[in-house]
Amino acid sequence: MSAAQPPALVAKDLTKTYDDLVALQTMSIEVPSGQSMALIGHNGSGKSTFLRMVAGLLDPTGGEIEIAGFDLTDVEARATTSFLPDDPVLYDDLSLREHAEYISKLHGGDGWDDYAESLCHRLGLEDRIDDLPSRFSRGLRQKTAIVLALVRPFSLLLVDEPFVGLDQPGKLVLLDLLAEVHAEGAATLVATHDPTYVERVDRSVALRDGEVIFDGQASVEEVLHLVGG
Amino acid sequence: MSALTIAESSAVVGELRRARRKRRVASIHWVDALYQVYLTGLVSVVLIVLLSGAIGDEKVSAAGIADVKEYGPAAAGVLVALAVFFGLRSGSRGGPLALERPDVRHVLLSPVDRGVALRGPAWRQLRFLVGVGAAVGAATGQLVVRRLPGNALEWIVFGALYGVTVVGLGYGCALLASGLKIKHGLASLVGGLLLLWSVGDLLGKAPLSPFTVVGHIAVWPLEPDWLALAGVVLAVVLVLAGMRWVSGISLEAAERRTALVGQMRFAVTLQDLRTVLVLRRQLSQEHPRSRPWIRAARRTPKFPVWHRGVRSVARWPLSRIVRGLLMAAVAGFSMRAVWNGTTPLIAVAGMALWIAALDAAEPLGQEVDHPGRTETFPFPRGQVFTLHLPILFVMSTVIGLLGAAVAAAPLGASVPVGPAVFTGVMAGILAASGAAISVVQGAPDPVDTLSMVTPEIAGTRTVIRTALPPAIAVLGITPLLAARASFLGKQDPPPLNAAMALALPLAIVVVLVAGYVRFRDEIRTFMAEASENMSPTKAVERQREERLAAEAREAEALAESKRRAREATSASQRAKAKQKPKSKPVSPPPEGVRGGTSAKPIGRKRDQK
Repeated sequence: MSAAQPPALVAKDLTKTYDDLVALQTMSIEVPSGQSMALIGHNGSGKSTFLRMVAGLLDPTGGEIEIAGFDLTDVEARATTSFLPDDPVLYDDLSLREHAEYISKLHGGDGWDDYAESLCHRLGLEDRIDDLPSRFSRGLRQKTAIVLALVRPFSLLLVDEPFVGLDQPGKLVLLDLLAEVHAEGAATLVATHDPTYVERVDRSVALRDGEVIFDGQASVEEVLHLVGG
Repeated sequence: MSALTIAESSAVVGELRRARRKRRVASIHWVDALYQVYLTGLVSVVLIVLLSGAIGDEKVSAAGIADVKEYGPAAAGVLVALAVFFGLRSGSRGGPLALERPDVRHVLLSPVDRGVALRGPAWRQLRFLVGVGAAVGAATGQLVVRRLPGNALEWIVFGALYGVTVVGLGYGCALLASGLKIKHGLASLVGGLLLLWSVGDLLGKAPLSPFTVVGHIAVWPLEPDWLALAGVVLAVVLVLAGMRWVSGISLEAAERRTALVGQMRFAVTLQDLRTVLVLRRQLSQEHPRSRPWIRAARRTPKFPVWHRGVRSVARWPLSRIVRGLLMAAVAGFSMRAVWNGTTPLIAVAGMALWIAALDAAEPLGQEVDHPGRTETFPFPRGQVFTLHLPILFVMSTVIGLLGAAVAAAPLGASVPVGPAVFTGVMAGILAASGAAISVVQGAPDPVDTLSMVTPEIAGTRTVIRTALPPAIAVLGITPLLAARASFLGKQDPPPLNAAMALALPLAIVVVLVAGYVRFRDEIRTFMAEASENMSPTKAVERQREERLAAEAREAEALAESKRRAREATSASQRAKAKQKPKSKPVSPPPEGVRGGTSAKPIGRKRDQK
């Protein structure tokens, strides 16, 4: 990682409110390029709100977001960021292969390639490639979303509750994939309820009621203490 | 990792859309398509026939033509202002486009040019709306020419041009508001002021509105005004500017809209007003306050249903309070106009209070929305619904009284305080009654006994379902008419007494509505049973079922008697078996006899001997 590279993410004085409800208190955070980070906290702590604002799906009430040195509204920021949501959103009338092909092309890729094929194979989707994901079970839809998030180029990967609905083999594959992505130099930001995940990352940020209450390297015990296990 | 050029974006997005469209078209059966065309044609013909019947054929007098020339442009301008008002509001909530959710997630989050991704759907939507606007405008022009002088072709062309201009101005404003992310409050304020200006111009209380200038297009064959064409130019400019900035759309608003608009359209087709209201609130992010305006008392409530209603009201968001005040003001001004002779405005006053009462009916609506919970109560859920009525009546009456205050405000020709207050109270209660029916009746059953009846009956039922609640609200304004009649006549009885004479019939309506709310489930069950009993097919089925049941009962009785007989036999045999050793020992069978103890001699004759 060269020192000249801009941070993968810089959020300054970021806030989000819905009328009188504060979803995220003023939050400033910087994620260096290539860093793996876990975002932990109980339900309603603001993890998903933060990730969705960084992904561009929610409008911040206040503050600024920069991704790889670009303003969030710049098209370059979108080219850099991949978002894996907890609620897979898929077309009803496209097969898994067509999804991957389309999304790859939207990001300047060649469409369906060996990497997409290998992702499907590792996630156990090789027999479902030409099926419609809209008819898949929750877990298979989540696996499809994983393929779609990884099949395109990115340098910042945002992942929201990735293990929801996944079986144990799927969970292990996803953990491997996240480690590989990190090893290849991408910054990863994973919001999770799984306290053991913090042992795999460089840094953990804990949120409570929309406020940062911890930022650093944390052990599982510390996480359990911070977010109430 | 780099952004796609406009050409690349266009190629990728275009390729997918073409493929998907091809697939979609292939999946539509030609019979379905033909049926849709048939239905659209049928509805259009019926509408045109009804409208032409309403308009009539008599030529308008010279005085009438002078009125059309004087007020026509301003009236047409109000329609333009309405289009702009709704366009601004829709745009500030992420409209007018209703994208697919995966498009928001995958296309708009990718590095393709958002303008490229959004302009295609926007042009398609505009093309459809312009077609509708032109068709409606041309059809209206064709109808108008029967009563007003002028060339038929001219009326049709300028009617269509007016329709297209209305669509263009409204759609352009919506696109601009969306692309520039104009706040909802600001959009409503600007749109509302423009609308007020236009209405003021129509009533002669405000200077010339720009929309009145545009409205001249609608009456062009009577009085050409070249300045009116500026409206067409403005519409084109607004649409082009909207297309230019369409890429600035808020993804948050767009995604929320994608999920809700489809559901709302479906609810509208089902005439499910309650669902439409709930979805509209979600679309406008109108959530109850997490911190109520008034804190709840800590002690255990004596009347939990009323307490629940009060807590709901205490959490009204500011927008709902503002809407209530606005509706009260509209009702009040309409009541003033009614008092001064514009009788048709009782409909506006009643509708305004009904809309406000629909908001006040939220606690009742919440109960109706959760049948799974109300059905677990150890008493009929109609009881809970009825207990919600007092809070609804109180809130609606407060809004009615605010309207009365506006009507009686001592500025200009106001309504006397007595009739105003009485009308305010009755209008509030009747509006609440209408709202209670709207909320409790819900959507029609997808399959009920009336679903297969003739369109005439089904249509009438639909009209009654839709029109009855607001009609009841409008009834609440009738005391004002009685008071006005007395005021303008001999004043015997005096206006207030004349108004109060209507209290009893209106109270009867309220009692009937309360009864409906309480016994709705029972009434529906009774009606369903009664209609089943009336059906000849059902009668045959019932007879068959009764016959089968009788046969089953007979068979069961027979089986039971046999079982009892068997039991009795075996019991007696057991008893005999027990008694046998005591009575007499079993003698050994006679020599030569085989086959047990049968009384019938078994074996060959010679052995028996």
